[in-house]
Amino acid sequence: MSTQGGFKLGGLLGVLCLTLLTVGCGQQAANTLTVLAGSELEDLKPLLPEIQAGAGLNLELRYSGSLDGAERLVAGEAVDLAWFSHGKYLSLLQGNRVISQEKIMLSPVVLGVKESKARAWGWVDNPNLTWRDIAAKAGSGELRYAMTNPASSNSGFTALVGVSAALSAGGDASQPETLDQTALKNFFKGQTLIAGSSGWLAERYIAESDHLDGMINYESVLMELNRDGKLQEKLYLVYPKEGIITADYPLMLINADKREAYQKLVDFLRSPGFQQKLMEQTLRRPVIPQVKLSADFPKQLLVELPFPNSLEAVDRLLFSYLDEQRIPSHPFFVLDISGSMAGDRLNQLKTVFNNLTGMDQSLTGQFARFREREQVTVITFNDEVQPQRDFQITDPKTQSQDMMQLREYVNGLNARGATAIFSALKRAYGLAAQARQNDPQRYYSIVLMSDGENNAGISQNDFLAYYRSLPEAVRRIRTFTVLFGEADTATMTALANATGGRVFDSRKVSLSQAFKQIRGYQ
Amino acid sequence: MKRSLGLLLSLLLIIGVGIAIYLSVQEQMGNRSKITVHGLIGSEKEEFFKDPRVLAALQRLGLTVQVEKAGSRQIATSFDLKLYDFVFTAGMPAAEKIRRDRHLNQFYTPFFTPMTIASWQPIVRLLVNNGMAEDRGGILFFKMAPFLDAVKAQRRWKELADNHDYAVSKNILITSTDVRKSNSAAMYLALASFVANGDNVVQSDADIDRVMPLLEGLFLRQGFTESSTEYPFEDYLVMGMGKSPLIMIYEAQFLHRAAAGDGGITSDMVLLYPEPTLYTKHVLLPLNEAGARLGEALTNDPELQRLAVEHGFRNQNIAYFREFTRQHHITAADTLTNVIDAPSYEVLERMIQRIEQRY
Repeated sequence: MSTQGGFKLGGLLGVLCLTLLTVGCGQQAANTLTVLAGSELEDLKPLLPEIQAGAGLNLELRYSGSLDGAERLVAGEAVDLAWFSHGKYLSLLQGNRVISQEKIMLSPVVLGVKESKARAWGWVDNPNLTWRDIAAKAGSGELRYAMTNPASSNSGFTALVGVSAALSAGGDASQPETLDQTALKNFFKGQTLIAGSSGWLAERYIAESDHLDGMINYESVLMELNRDGKLQEKLYLVYPKEGIITADYPLMLINADKREAYQKLVDFLRSPGFQQKLMEQTLRRPVIPQVKLSADFPKQLLVELPFPNSLEAVDRLLFSYLDEQRIPSHPFFVLDISGSMAGDRLNQLKTVFNNLTGMDQSLTGQFARFREREQVTVITFNDEVQPQRDFQITDPKTQSQDMMQLREYVNGLNARGATAIFSALKRAYGLAAQARQNDPQRYYSIVLMSDGENNAGISQNDFLAYYRSLPEAVRRIRTFTVLFGEADTATMTALANATGGRVFDSRKVSLSQAFKQIRGYQ
Repeated sequence: MKRSLGLLLSLLLIIGVGIAIYLSVQEQMGNRSKITVHGLIGSEKEEFFKDPRVLAALQRLGLTVQVEKAGSRQIATSFDLKLYDFVFTAGMPAAEKIRRDRHLNQFYTPFFTPMTIASWQPIVRLLVNNGMAEDRGGILFFKMAPFLDAVKAQRRWKELADNHDYAVSKNILITSTDVRKSNSAAMYLALASFVANGDNVVQSDADIDRVMPLLEGLFLRQGFTESSTEYPFEDYLVMGMGKSPLIMIYEAQFLHRAAAGDGGITSDMVLLYPEPTLYTKHVLLPLNEAGARLGEALTNDPELQRLAVEHGFRNQNIAYFREFTRQHHITAADTLTNVIDAPSYEVLERMIQRIEQRY
């Protein structure tokens, strides 16, 4: 009898809730979903109105890098759903908050090679082509490709896991001791353009394809470039024999209260009509068998390589890439220590370098810090350019001699005087040119941070004239500019554009955050 | 005048009380027969509970069922069961774990399904040529013993003899779910443990010590595994044999899809019966009376029993199953003879914990 009463009360409450939902907050809260989305999903923007209408929901998308997004979820950011190109790394993290997940679309990460090269190398319609063959071509310097940084972006990360599995004795990437480090080092010798995001990587590839031979990216991105005719030369997509790893874009429920709305969204996204459209417009593969792969896609067998089963194994792959396999990096940091930097601003800058020398123990921090084999040059400036300091990182531990020296140096900086931006940048290019000549097997980049306008030393035009006089290989060294304080946005943007770099606005995030992002491009 | 007013008032009162009683009885009866039941289910039963025919049959019995899905073993550990009226897991071991943890007595087993392996025609040819599978009267059987030998020797697909279609360097393994989270993987472990133990149910710690080195590899060497059986089966349907040549699934998943005739199962896709195999019982644990009503309905209502078969499940009534396979031209083993028992709940838990420690 008592349970009967219980059910009755339950039913009454149910009716009450329903009434409240339809009358009150229903339209607003229940139908609006906040989504933390990977930046690789930005190409879905044109489809958003249709998705919202179809599912009867409002979506508020916040875009983020993949590792950054994982960190924000674990830190407890209030969000209803998360949507990344894959969720395996996230699901290996403790406290990932994922309640449910459904795959929405598929795209393998593959290599696109200029058609002329693919033909010359016998890679066209070659079912026996292996990652080993690709590694050999990269090692010999014939294959120069663009690929994102695996510690910042999912396409690079997926490629790293796949290549590691293919180039290991055990046939999977879960045992780092079986990795073929020589083959992997050869493979990454070809990584001529590194970026923190797959979208920016594709943009730069279009602009700089004259000195690149290919790009590693999602199949969908490569096919779209071919379809839209943005390339001087089409890319031939290579699916090596050992296999690839496919991104499956899981839509993940984070807020349990939004389960019903989540289900509506999943049902719409996975409906045959929308899956067909998704395939046609974004060139991603469908996840339901009712929608058949269109003729745009190659029909061959896609061997899927295993993904590691523990966070430890994945992290070891990433550290092995950063510390051993990739071309070592040599960043030049050009830092403003003029009078306006005094006080809090200089302290923020010091925090940046404390973090990069290992004090930031967060998920993103541990990958952004300076790595083994890295050469770091710091050039400070005020009225004039100060003598540069070089630091060779042989031991990346937080308390190592190398890291401590770098920390002590930056912590000892004082701010005073005027702002000679262009003289400092000219010095950086001069030093980088010299370093490059002595050691061409490094990845060179420049970071320029200033909180104001140039008011000492040479002018912008003087600098640009000098830059144009440099040999082509040196001109390809990019300058990443950081907007800070009252930085001159127009000048900083022009500098980044002129050198093929990118602007990072620290005022929207934080100075530390901006530098962390830039680390993905070094 | 005064009197007639009194009479009128009395009359109104009587009518009012009458209406009130009538409404109350109506309400009582309505509540008794119409309830909403909220439960947690293993993902493999989601389509059953979404089927309009099932929903209608349940409505007829006054039941509106709302479900959320989760890995059967996850249900045991990661959910607040106070929020639900029932849980409906796959497999006795998971049900047993919940029963013990939550001190529940009652349970229903409205249907069951054998563990099977989804594969592909070219793979099956390869397996038959290498003595790992056998065609007996049109039904394909997967031989666990030679398969385990191949796993033990860490053989790869490309090393198999007479191999023209799948010379891939991946290890010979069956794709399963995460054994820490999902019942189908636990069932796979149960049946592999029987074979690894010389065709005996694993019982003692000594047995466990002997079989685990081999069995750990079945799961750890797969790399990342998913938490619920629908995911690898979904991949099977859309990603082809390059993703997984062999996938441990419930027979019901394959049969239901084949009967749907929606192009999901193509002529290239094949179902293999492992030898030996075991049954997964789908166990409904009621958490209150509402849940119990659903358990009764699923077990006793002929229409719901028939619909369960339409979803590929088997139950006491083999006639339903035969009619279903005949109607949809599906090749399925009519009765299975080589069916073993799972190890006890404690033993299976200990084996799973051993694997868990290795992650």
